[in-house]
Amino acid sequence: MPTNGDAELRVVPVRHVGRWVGAVVALVAVAMLVHTLFSRVPTGQVTCHVVQGVRRCRPVVNWRFSWNIVFHYFTTRTILDGLVLTIKLTVMAMAVGIVLGVMIAIMRLSHNRLLSSVAWSYTWFFRGTPVYVQLLFWFNISALYPTLTLGIPFTAVTFLHINATTLFTPATAAVVALGLNEAAYMSEIARSGLIAVDEGQIEAATSIGMTRSQTMRLVVLPQAMRVIIPPTGNEVISMLKTTSLAAAISVTELLGAAINIYSANYEIMALLIVASLWYLIVTTILSTGQFYLERHFAKGSLRTPPPTPLARLRGDLVGIARTIRGSRGLTRRGATS
Amino acid sequence: MVQAIGVCKSYGGVEVLKGVNLTVNRGEVTCLIGPSGSGKSTLLRCVNHLEKHDAGELLVDGNLVGYEERDGKLYERNDKQICRERAQIGMVFQRFNLFAHLTVLENVTVGQVKVRGVSADQATTRARELLERVGLVAKEKNYPSQLSGGQQQRVAIARALAMDPKLMLFDEPTSALDPELVGEVLDVMKDLAQSGMTMMVVTHEMNFAREVADTLYFLDHGVIEESGEPREVLAHPSSERLRSFLSKVL
Repeated sequence: MPTNGDAELRVVPVRHVGRWVGAVVALVAVAMLVHTLFSRVPTGQVTCHVVQGVRRCRPVVNWRFSWNIVFHYFTTRTILDGLVLTIKLTVMAMAVGIVLGVMIAIMRLSHNRLLSSVAWSYTWFFRGTPVYVQLLFWFNISALYPTLTLGIPFTAVTFLHINATTLFTPATAAVVALGLNEAAYMSEIARSGLIAVDEGQIEAATSIGMTRSQTMRLVVLPQAMRVIIPPTGNEVISMLKTTSLAAAISVTELLGAAINIYSANYEIMALLIVASLWYLIVTTILSTGQFYLERHFAKGSLRTPPPTPLARLRGDLVGIARTIRGSRGLTRRGATS
Repeated sequence: MVQAIGVCKSYGGVEVLKGVNLTVNRGEVTCLIGPSGSGKSTLLRCVNHLEKHDAGELLVDGNLVGYEERDGKLYERNDKQICRERAQIGMVFQRFNLFAHLTVLENVTVGQVKVRGVSADQATTRARELLERVGLVAKEKNYPSQLSGGQQQRVAIARALAMDPKLMLFDEPTSALDPELVGEVLDVMKDLAQSGMTMMVVTHEMNFAREVADTLYFLDHGVIEESGEPREVLAHPSSERLRSFLSKVL
């Protein structure tokens, strides 16, 4: 076997031809996308100027994606109000969903068969019907119950009467519908988190005299969070977009606001882009928040926490710099023939 | 301190304990040995009511475990009363079961603060004393996953001691440990025994049983097969079962 002692042996990396072809195709596709996003199209009109006595005409062009109109409406009052309402709806519906979902999950795990069947039925019902139908249902609830009454069940004793139409404004109906629907999904997420906690943790908590509720609050839930957080983050992002359905029951959240504007000026595409851009911005912020939340709740379960995106970027840059600087070969020291 | 009279327990038709009689005196160390599945752990778990025994009487400090006798009837105690009883009995598990999301210090303070209502400052002071005693004061900020098995088990002992228990239960405390880490846990237990703690220890460490225990019980198939002074019992086993068990473990 030929060797050259302590000298450096050049390492020839494996060529990945398929990977390169794929990368080139992807690059072309991205270039086409960027090109069409920022292309201009003739409007059919012509502008003419008289320059030094000569009349010159040229066709008027406009952004294909109407970026000027997008930019104009991006921060108008109506859109921003809609955005705020979208965030409010998301927060409230998720709050209802998480609190109720955790309760249903705990009920589902109860040793009492009645409690666990009620929890199971809830999930069955609310997961089994479309959220859009549920939204319309709560919006029209006053057709079923014109007045809501607080009192002792099955007796004539009542304390409070509320007119259903005044209580169930479109926004309230949206929060109730989205929240109750979300609770069904959150209960399954919470349940998976709760059963992921080791039985021994519960025994240990019990053995130092914690009550069931203390065990749940101080030992089980904090550890279940690690399992619960990532899918819950997805649910929040999903909810942010699902609130757009509320536009159908005349709630002027982000999409509703965009629809209101474009039904007056017919700039449909531009306003849909405005709404989409805002959704993208908020989901990006939420994803970042989710990352740090996951990191927080991973404490104790990982010996070293995962790097933050910034740290990873720094690591990548260091790696690239090292590659550029050389040291491409592996040194074979002390190799003798 | 602990008295069992004809304690029985079965899981879905399988009888694990078939009338166990046993007495643990205050300040004494009692070791329970026996083959796996003999019911040693189940007995221990009945003592702090992690499992409900089906029949027989089980008394801790003169009180029935989990029940109250009034007017010739046994009333099951409610959760709160049972929790209060349990808080006075420390338990150390085979698999440590430290709270994974809490630091070492928090593991030792959480019970004091949340169950006994001690102030956070006092709890921390007491926790540091106990961690000092098990030799882990330097690790107080670490999470359990960052400790070795032996260290985790010593923290678990400190966590149990933080409740100022009148009785300590050890359920095979060294069985999940690498052989070289067994010693450090046994040392802590010996130290505890010398300080006069009443202890019930399920173990496979015959040397520990011989040196530290005041009484040794050999369980097999859910009954106490043999008991007595450990040196005597281990040196001159009278039953065939104990003889064959010892020939396998010694």
